[in-house]
Amino acid sequence: MLTSCDISSLVVDRLCDRAKDRKTAVACFYFDFAAQKEQSWAGMLGSLPKQVVSGMGEVPGEIAQAYEDHKKVIDGRGLQLADIVRMLQTTVSEKPTFICIDALDECIARYRIKLLDSLNQILRRSPGTRLFITGRPHIRAEVGNRLSRRVATLRITPPRDDIISYLRSRLDEDTTPDAMDSGLKSDILRKIPDDISEM
Amino acid sequence: MNTINNFTFANDRSDILAWLSPLNPKLRHQDIRDGRVGNVGEWLLQTEEFRGWEAGSAGSESDNPVLFCYGDPGVGKTFVW
Repeated sequence: MLTSCDISSLVVDRLCDRAKDRKTAVACFYFDFAAQKEQSWAGMLGSLPKQVVSGMGEVPGEIAQAYEDHKKVIDGRGLQLADIVRMLQTTVSEKPTFICIDALDECIARYRIKLLDSLNQILRRSPGTRLFITGRPHIRAEVGNRLSRRVATLRITPPRDDIISYLRSRLDEDTTPDAMDSGLKSDILRKIPDDISEM
Repeated sequence: MNTINNFTFANDRSDILAWLSPLNPKLRHQDIRDGRVGNVGEWLLQTEEFRGWEAGSAGSESDNPVLFCYGDPGVGKTFVW
């Protein structure tokens, strides 16, 4: 079925299409329960400046310098949260940046709070930054509180036509078409959209 | 000396990117985009909420820089329906 990833990827594509004219940058992140181990807060947060920098002609001097300094430290610890937030701040201050985060509820709760607080800091200091988040409704209050209540919300309720066209395309991809007849097909196209509308 | 430094920086570009994060969310984005069906979800881009968020009005007191989209509580991966 359609997941929030589809919505997020659509938004990312739209923002990327217009990024060149608007001279904006776009960075995204898709949380996934199945990948919680690899998706550390440092890796996640660091991937945001990474995406912005990879779209730039040159690595910003402050980041190149931070890297040089880091290299000099033998047995240096990994990047600290404050270092990453500072580098994200450096990149978003060079270009207005859209940040899209999918399935935030799939991020480990204690990382989620750190992440939201860090993003709030970025939003306060760089007013050109805009943040798009999807998630289940139970994190709605937390998102509002941690982001200084500067949050508009939108419930994802796809129109019936969307559901039907999605079902049609999936039925077209059926690998066992012999098991399908026109009666079953029309039942599917009628009943599933009804059930979803009642949710 | 500066020239040498700049030369080093240019060569270090991919090292710097890897140092910032080992993760590559843009690759994941491409996978998701490739699996997306037709124009499903386009309606969201037409909503007042999305348009207002995208256009923004930085500096205005009432501007919300964040848009939070939520689906129904479901089971498994974040299904919106």
